[in-house]
Amino acid sequence: MPWLDVAFNRALIEAVLIGVATGMLGVQVVLRRLAFFTMSMTHATFPGVVIAAVVGIDLYLGGATAGILAALAVVALSRRRGHDPSTATAVALAAGFALGVVLLSAQRGFTKDLTAYLVGSILTVTTEDLAVAAAVTTVVAAALSLGHRALLFTAFDRDGARAAGYRTTAIDLGLLLLISAVVVTAVPAVGTILTLALVVAPAGAARLWTDRIATMTAIAVSVAVASTIGGLLLSRSWDVAAGAAISLIATGCFAASMLVGPRHSLLARWLHRRHPTPDRAATSPQEIGASVVTQP
Amino acid sequence: MADAGAALRIDRATVAYDGTPVLQDVNAQVQPGETVALIGPNGAGKSTLIKAVLGLVPVASGTITVLDRSPVAARRDVAYVPQADTLDPEFPISVAQVVLMGRYRRVGWLRRPGRTDRHIATEALDQVGLADRAKARFGTLSGGQRQRVLLARAIAQRPRLLLLDEPFNGVDALSQDALLTAIAALKQQGAAVVISTHDLTLAHLACDTACLLNGHMYGFGPVHDVLTPDLLRATYGSQALELRGDRVIVARP
Repeated sequence: MPWLDVAFNRALIEAVLIGVATGMLGVQVVLRRLAFFTMSMTHATFPGVVIAAVVGIDLYLGGATAGILAALAVVALSRRRGHDPSTATAVALAAGFALGVVLLSAQRGFTKDLTAYLVGSILTVTTEDLAVAAAVTTVVAAALSLGHRALLFTAFDRDGARAAGYRTTAIDLGLLLLISAVVVTAVPAVGTILTLALVVAPAGAARLWTDRIATMTAIAVSVAVASTIGGLLLSRSWDVAAGAAISLIATGCFAASMLVGPRHSLLARWLHRRHPTPDRAATSPQEIGASVVTQP
Repeated sequence: MADAGAALRIDRATVAYDGTPVLQDVNAQVQPGETVALIGPNGAGKSTLIKAVLGLVPVASGTITVLDRSPVAARRDVAYVPQADTLDPEFPISVAQVVLMGRYRRVGWLRRPGRTDRHIATEALDQVGLADRAKARFGTLSGGQRQRVLLARAIAQRPRLLLLDEPFNGVDALSQDALLTAIAALKQQGAAVVISTHDLTLAHLACDTACLLNGHMYGFGPVHDVLTPDLLRATYGSQALELRGDRVIVARP
């Protein structure tokens, strides 16, 4: 396929695939407040990638293995009562990154640049990278649509979902593994920090525009894809780093939504203060009247 | 005693968290159509008992039998109503979506909720008097209305045993009446209902039977026989407060 021989065209496809996957998954990350977990995954997969490079096996395989181990560790640690999962997550983040750096520095003559890992290199993606990204995006889309009721129930009411017979730990683990898969796929293209931006910022922005999860997902995917394509075009015409340009557009969308979005934004709050609409929760006159009636 | 056919049977059950017993030696039997109030101070083990009946907390010794099955095997026919204020009010979900969750387990993973499921959910929402709020975001409703939505979700599940955790806490009188009416309707249809509550007046209004708990069981039987000043004082210890000679009011910590 000659069209695919052009590096920029491959980057464009990779951008769309990663945008779709991160946008969809980002909604779950934002609703369940898993941004910090996602951050730690981007770093915890690092030693796996380094080991794979040193041993000479597939980098995705190395990253995915480390991601699965990290997800299992976080689920196991947060199941223990009295343990704050963010502590376990932070330790996994630091340990993973440190291990990766130690392994990398121990390899004399190992030339892979660390900054490539931090900011990614989307313009060097291969056709194999595209195949991996397409497969992961398909799996994520299938899993999220098949499991969307289970995910909705467990995110909204964990005890209620367990009582209804959902295996919440298995569902949590499944979601964390999907996050790992997307992180492992996106990191080589856009880097560790920038993957986080692409997962969290579009969904975070979408939350500020709607109270419906279906609409939120559509907006998040659109923002993520627009950011990846926009960032690529920007990097080509202005000759700046692609991964960083993608992240700046995504985070810029979030910042703009914070300022002017119809829900929870600064502008919405300011307008609400100027023209307060009565709280719908307590407007019913019967309710206000009834609440002062004492029980016999 | 007619043991078979009981909605809930608890035989000398001890429930422990991490090896520490929270509830010891509980004995109780609930028949279809019977309403039981679980009464006791905070930390008495009311929620723990409900979780044990749901099979979420294992029984250390003794047995809990739900509809002649193990708690886990009976889950399909058991509905649980959590306290509304434990749920995130910012969560982007509509009232109708919350009620439809009551149908999820019957729908399964592959099918989508059909017209029948939506009809049952709408009916359930109507039973708690909130049919006109179906499209509202769950978090915009008052505490009492949110509690009614969660009861509607349980009704949509068509349960044979209904467990409610402190449903009347911080609920306005209108919502309280709506909850009581809906619970009475379920009882009429033959469902057994277990309600944990601090409110003795509501226990009298809504329940046939009372179960006094504080670490272990202080009494189980008809409301009028069990909710006596002596037994309540024994259950609540220093938290009991006497007014006008015969009324015992319990201070909420």
